[in-house]
Amino acid sequence: MRNFFSSPTAIMGTALLSIVLFAAIFGPMIAPYDPQAFDPLNRLQGPSLTHLFGTDQFGRDLLSRILTGAPSTVAFGVGATLLGVGIGSIIGVVAGVSGGWVDSTIMRILDGLLAVPDLLFTLLIVTILGGGMEHAMLAVSIAFAPGMARIARSAVLSVRTRDYVRAAVARGESGVYIVTCEVLPNALSPIVVEATIRVSFAIMIGATLGFLGLGAQPPSTEWGLMVAEARQFMFRNPWCVAIPGISIAIAALGFNLFGDALRDALDPKRSHG
Amino acid sequence: MSWGYFIRRLLAVFLVLAIVTFAVFAITTMLPGNAAIMILGEYATPEAVAALEKQLHLDQPWYAQYLSWVAGILHGDFGTSLRLSLPVTQVVGEAFVNSAMLGATALVAVTITAIPLGALAALKRGTGMDLGLGLFSYLGTALPEFVTATLLLVFFAAPQHGLFPAGGFVAPWEDLGGFAAHVVLPAATLGLVLMAHISRQVRSEMSEVLSSDYIRAARLKGLTERRVIRRHALPNSLAPAIAVISLDIGYLLGGIIVVEEIFAWPGLGRLLIYALENRDLPVIQAVTLLLAAVYALSNLLSDIVIALLDPRVRYA
Amino acid sequence: MTLQTMTQNVIATAEKPALSILDYSLSYKTANGLISALKNIDLTIPKGKTVGLVGESGSGKSSMAWSVMRYLPPNAVETGGAIRLAGEELLDQTPFQMADIRGRRMSMVFQDPSTSLNPTIRLGEQIAEVLMRHRGLTKAQAWAEAEVALARTGITRPKEMLQRFPHEASGGEKQRVVIATAFACEPELIIFDEPTTALDILTARQILDLFNQLRDETNVSALYISHDLGLVSRVVDEVSVLHKGVIVERGLVGEVFAKPSAPYTKQLIGAVPNPDRWIGVDAPAEPKTLIKLDGIGVHYGAPSKIQKMFWPEDAEKVGFWGAKDVNFEVRKGELLGVVGESGSGKSTIAKVLAGLQDFQGNLEIEGKTIGSRKVIDRAYRRRVQIVFQHPDASLNPRQKIGRIIARPLKLYGVVPREKIKARIAELLEMVRLPEEYADRYPHQLSGGEKQRVAIARAFAAEPELVICDEVTAALDVSVQAAVAELLVKLQKDTGAACVFITHDLNLIRQLAHRIAVMHHGKLVDFFDRPDARSEDRDPYTKALLDAVPVHTPVEAFEIA
Repeated sequence: MRNFFSSPTAIMGTALLSIVLFAAIFGPMIAPYDPQAFDPLNRLQGPSLTHLFGTDQFGRDLLSRILTGAPSTVAFGVGATLLGVGIGSIIGVVAGVSGGWVDSTIMRILDGLLAVPDLLFTLLIVTILGGGMEHAMLAVSIAFAPGMARIARSAVLSVRTRDYVRAAVARGESGVYIVTCEVLPNALSPIVVEATIRVSFAIMIGATLGFLGLGAQPPSTEWGLMVAEARQFMFRNPWCVAIPGISIAIAALGFNLFGDALRDALDPKRSHG
Repeated sequence: MSWGYFIRRLLAVFLVLAIVTFAVFAITTMLPGNAAIMILGEYATPEAVAALEKQLHLDQPWYAQYLSWVAGILHGDFGTSLRLSLPVTQVVGEAFVNSAMLGATALVAVTITAIPLGALAALKRGTGMDLGLGLFSYLGTALPEFVTATLLLVFFAAPQHGLFPAGGFVAPWEDLGGFAAHVVLPAATLGLVLMAHISRQVRSEMSEVLSSDYIRAARLKGLTERRVIRRHALPNSLAPAIAVISLDIGYLLGGIIVVEEIFAWPGLGRLLIYALENRDLPVIQAVTLLLAAVYALSNLLSDIVIALLDPRVRYA
Repeated sequence: MTLQTMTQNVIATAEKPALSILDYSLSYKTANGLISALKNIDLTIPKGKTVGLVGESGSGKSSMAWSVMRYLPPNAVETGGAIRLAGEELLDQTPFQMADIRGRRMSMVFQDPSTSLNPTIRLGEQIAEVLMRHRGLTKAQAWAEAEVALARTGITRPKEMLQRFPHEASGGEKQRVVIATAFACEPELIIFDEPTTALDILTARQILDLFNQLRDETNVSALYISHDLGLVSRVVDEVSVLHKGVIVERGLVGEVFAKPSAPYTKQLIGAVPNPDRWIGVDAPAEPKTLIKLDGIGVHYGAPSKIQKMFWPEDAEKVGFWGAKDVNFEVRKGELLGVVGESGSGKSTIAKVLAGLQDFQGNLEIEGKTIGSRKVIDRAYRRRVQIVFQHPDASLNPRQKIGRIIARPLKLYGVVPREKIKARIAELLEMVRLPEEYADRYPHQLSGGEKQRVAIARAFAAEPELVICDEVTAALDVSVQAAVAELLVKLQKDTGAACVFITHDLNLIRQLAHRIAVMHHGKLVDFFDRPDARSEDRDPYTKALLDAVPVHTPVEAFEIA
C-alpha cells in the first residue's frame, strides 16, 4: 500500500477525489451566498472577485450553486453504484458459485439485459417510474446490476479454480466457509475496483438525466440541471454552462483515476514485488 | 472459417434479441398512462376510448399483445405511431438512416485516428506523447456528452463567428457541404469519448503484445523493426481493439440520444425522446428493439472479424 | 605485410573463439536501488564447441543470454567488460548492426515454443522470414529452403508442417521449428535457453538427440543454458556453473562432475536426484492395504444419461478419458510413486483420491467401499490429505501462515483450542521453518518455504495418506532435494503413507517403494523399486527410463 502513491494516476485521482468529497460534505456550509438568491442586476457575469465563478441567468452565485449541488451529485453517483453493485454482486456470486444450469440461465438473462445500452435502459426505467432523483438513482442501479453481476461472476470463477480453494474442498470444508473465507476475500478486489470506476459513470448518467429533465428537478442545484437551465444563455456567458460541466468532469475523473490506481495497487503481481 | 462457429453465434444473437423483445415489451407496457387517452385527449368519451383500445388491441391480455407484436415484427410491421399516425417502419426507418450517417461518420473518423494514435503511444511508452494521450483519454471518459456538446457549441458555434451551425440537419444527397458542416460538431462530440476508449485500448493491447515472447523472438531473429511491428505486433493487437469498438457502439447508441437532442439531429435518439415524452408505445418499442439489435449485431460482427484475424478462434 | 604477420593473422583468426565474454558485469536499476545480476563473468566458447551454463533460478543465466544477444530491458546497466563474437566487439554495435547480426551470425532457441512462436502466423512464414531478411531470398526460394530445414530437424512431412499454425503442432514439433529457424542462416553461434524444460520426457530426449546430431553435422558453436546438471552433461564439452551472478566453477564437464571444487557445485551435484541413492524410509514390514483403487475411471465431457440410454456406443467415444480402469492399492506407511508424462492421468488419480474429482469405479478404504465422490465424508478427507504443485497458488494470499496451518487443526478438532498455537509452532518446526513465520503472509515467503507450509498444513490433520501432486516440479534443484528429504523425515516420524506423483523418474527411484507408470490414462506398469531395470518392464517404462538424463556423465562419455 505504500507504493500506492508512487504513480501520478494515484496522486491525481486522490487529489481530485478529496476535493470532490470535501465539496460534497462541506459544500453547503461554506457556500458564500444563498444558492437560490436572485440578483437580477448582476446576472450572467463572468468570474470576479465578488463571484468567484460568476453568476447565472438569474444572478445566482455559481460557486454557491456548485457547492450546494455537490452533495446530491456525489451522493447520487455513490448511492446508485452501491445499490447496483450490491444487487449485481449477489447475483454474480450466486451464479459463479453455483455453476451448472443456475449459472447458465442467469448468464443468458444477463446477456439479454446487457444488450440494451446503459443510458437507454436508464431512460426507459426512469420514464416508467417518473422523474426525480430517487427514481433516477434506482434506474441507474438497475441498469448497472447486470454488468456488475458479470464482473462479480468472473471474479468468483477465477478464484474458484485456484489451488487454495481446491485445498479447502479437499479438506471437506463446508460451502459457506469456502465462499466466505476463501473465495470472497480474494474476489472482492476486482469488484471494488469496478465499483469505484462505475461511480464516475453514475455521476455522468445522473447529470445527463438531470440535463434531460428526467432526474433532479428545479430548484435543485444538481449540476446537470444547471447546464440545462443555462443552455439558452450559453453564448452570452459560457461560464454558466462550462463551470457545472467541468465540475461534473472533475468528479467523474476523480473516481475514475482513483479506481485505476486502486486496480494497479491491488494487482497481485505487484504485491509480490 | 468454421460455419459451426458462425451459426452458433448467430443463434446466440437471436436468443438475445428474443429476450430483449420480451424485456422491452415488459418495460414499455409498464409505462404509466393509457395510450388511448393520450391520443384522444382527456375529454374523450368512454365509448371512444374503448373503441380505440379495441382497435389498438389494448383490451387483450398481455401475452396476446406480445405475440401479436412479435408476429407483426416478423412480417416487418411494427405498427403505427400513436402520435404521428404514420407507419412506425417509415418513421423509424428515416430516423435510422440519419442516425446511421452520424454514427458512421463518428466511428470512421475515430477509427482512422485512434488506432494509429494508440499504437504510437504503445511504441513510445512513457514519453510525453504517451502521457499526453493518457491525459486526453482520461478527460474523454470523464466528460458526459452533453457537456462536451455544450462546450463545443460555445467555442465553435457562437453566433459571433458562426464557424459551424448550432444544430440541424442537411441530407448529404441534397448538399454535401451542408451535411458536412452540420455533422462536424455532433460527430466530434460522439467521437471524443470513442477516441479516448479506443486509443487507450489499442495502447494497452499493443503494449502487452510488444512485451510478449514471440515479439522478442521475432526481434532476436534480426527482423527489421518495421516488419516486427507491421506483421507481428499490429495484427495481434487489433483483435482486442475491435472487441472494444463493438462495446463502444453500445456506448455510441446511448450517447447518440443526448447528442441528437442537443444538435436537433433528426435521428433515432431524438425520436426516442419524443416518443418517451408522448408515450408513443409502438415507436418506443421499435426504437429500443432496433438499438439493441444493432448492438447485438455489432458484437457478432466483431466476433467474426476477430475470428478472421486469429486462427485459434476460427477452428475452435 | 611480412610472412610473420600473415602467419600471425592466420593463427589469430583460426584461434578466435566463437564467443568470448571478458570480465562482464551487469546490474538492474530497481525501486530498491541497483541490483547486481552478473559479476565479472569470463566465458569463452571455442569454435565448434558447446559450452554449458548451469544455474538455478535467480543465478543470472537468462540475463547472460540477453546480454549476448544485446536485448536488455531499459533498466539494465552494464558496468564493464566485453562481449566478442569471433573477435568483434558486440557492445560497440548499434541497434541496426545488431539486427543484422541477430538471426544471421547469432541466433537463439527459446525455452517455451508455445509462447515464442507467433500464434497467428503460419510456421512456414516464421522460418521463411529469416531467410528472406538475411539471405535475400525470394518468397518461393525461402519457403523451399524452409522445407529443407524442417526436414533436417526430423519433421516427417515438412511441406504440411509449413502450412500449419503453432496451435496445430505438438510441443516437440514446435521446438523443431524453432530450432530449424535458428539454424536456417547457418550462424556462427547459437544460444540454447533451456530448450527442453517445457517438453515431456520422451520429447525432450528426442530434441536432445537432435541437438547433438545437428551439432555434429554443422559444427556450430553453442551456448547451452540449463538448470539441469544431469542433462547438460549429455550435450556439452565444457561447463560453467553460475551462482548468484558469479561463475563459481568451470571446466570440462567430466572433470567438474567427478571432482567439483566449489562448495556450491558440490551442493548442486549432490542435489541432483541419483536413482541409485536411496533416501526414502524403510519399507513397511508387513504390507497392509490402506486404500484400494478398483476400476477407477474419469470421463471428461461425459455424455448425459439420455445420450447413454439411446446411443450407448457413441457415448463411449464422446469426450475423453482422463483415467481408465486403474487398479492398484496403497499400503500403510509406504511411499508409492506414480509417474508419467503430461496427460498420462497421474494428476487425475491424485484428484480422485483427494475427493476432488468425480469418478467411476470404487475406492476401498479399510472395509468401506466408496462408489462416488458424493459419498466421501469429512472423516475420509481427514485421513487423506493433498499437497499441490504450485506453492504460489495453494496458499490463500490473504491469510497469515498461522491461520492457514491452524485451519485443519480447528476443522478436525485435532487439538483443543488452547493448544492450537503451540501445535502451530511445533508443525513449523517439523518443516524447519522459524516460529515467527506464523505471522507472515504467503507472499513474504520463497517458493520452497511456501511448499513447506503446504506440507505442514497437510500433516497438521495427522493423516494416514498424504498425496503429493508434483510438489517439487516448480522448485529449483537444491530446494527440491530439501523438500523431498523433508517429506521422507515426516513420513518416518508419523508413519503416514505417501502417494508421490511426479514426472521425474530419477527422483522417484530414490524415494518410492513401489512405482506405478501411467500412460494416456491407463496404468501400464507397476513394480517394486529394485525391479526398475528388469527385462519384465513394459516397453513404455523402458523408453522413459532410457530417455531420462543419467546422473553421472562418465556413462555418457563412455558411450560417446
